[in-house]
Amino acid sequence: MTAMTTDLHHPPTPNAMHYNQPQRRRARFYNPPNTLKQKVGAGGLSADILDKAQQLIENNAVDIRPWAEIQLERIRNYAQKAEDGLIDAHQEEEIIQSLLHASMQLKANGGMFHYPLITKIADRLLHFLEVVERLDADALEIVMAFHTTLQAVLHGQVKDADTPHARALLDALVGACTRYFKRNAINEE
Amino acid sequence: MAYELNTVTALIVEDNYPMREITKALLESFGVGTVVVANDGEEGLHQYKKTNPDIIILDWMMEHMNGLTFTVQIRNDKTGPNPYVPIILMTGFNEENRVKEARDCGITEYLAKPFTAKTLYSRVTQVIERPRPFVQSEDFLGPDRRRTKTTEYGGPLRRHDDVAPLPPYARPANLPPEDIVLVDA
Repeated sequence: MTAMTTDLHHPPTPNAMHYNQPQRRRARFYNPPNTLKQKVGAGGLSADILDKAQQLIENNAVDIRPWAEIQLERIRNYAQKAEDGLIDAHQEEEIIQSLLHASMQLKANGGMFHYPLITKIADRLLHFLEVVERLDADALEIVMAFHTTLQAVLHGQVKDADTPHARALLDALVGACTRYFKRNAINEE
Repeated sequence: MAYELNTVTALIVEDNYPMREITKALLESFGVGTVVVANDGEEGLHQYKKTNPDIIILDWMMEHMNGLTFTVQIRNDKTGPNPYVPIILMTGFNEENRVKEARDCGITEYLAKPFTAKTLYSRVTQVIERPRPFVQSEDFLGPDRRRTKTTEYGGPLRRHDDVAPLPPYARPANLPPEDIVLVDA
């Protein structure tokens, strides 16, 4: 692709017309100069380099537990705040967003630092929080069940996500979420 | 012949220290010459203006300024060095609505965490080999949110919006096709 302009902030306007009428709501398409390609050339990276890079992930010595404990503490505190009541709908939504944030952090980082089971469990919690409408007592109980399970995985340093025990844990949590939504039928039209 | 990444400057904006460090180490192992890091969006904007990076790798959820707000500012800041800079968004979210939300803010590629070295590399090759045309409308400035899927077609490209398939070297082995293109319309 070639650049149509060298002025980064004022791209050109094509004179497009439809049905013999001038465009009123204009969307301009243009190709910025691909300076990155010009710099790096061609050829990619060798499989050897990628293998070595992957080894950096697999052999990293980061102990994620202290950081993960902070996320779990946040989840517990937000759940407690919701359980204590005295929050309006806006605050409740803020708490859900905060719970989402902490869960997403656990999901994103668990698998990068030797805890793929944390990623799988946090992913299910994330799915629950993405769709739950209210943080009622039952919903909070589910959030805390996830919290307790995540804490147990962390304290037990359970790193293998493909054991029967790990699958049973996940199934139990997903089952609780499924039963919650059957009871509450949030998406019922 | 291989990519000469030693002249490239990458900016990583990530508030999680271990993730920031491992992403930095990965880019350096790829051969990226200069890797600048920032702890949040505000610091990221400062570094962006200071270093004019060739590529930005960005976390979504950060305190003070999240990745989407950061992206909108980059795309619309007329005083910035390069509103077209490729932005790869890293996030634990992978639901379709989240991908669309990020895409609508002007990100170039989406990288779901946790990721492997190959998936990070695949996103980097996407922005090198298949840069998106830019769209400017009344309420959006960013990469074209549509992308033609790669096909095996090997003939000449005649239409102005034809997209060439990735060259073989930019296609890591054992990577499923859907892993290459996440940000389809």
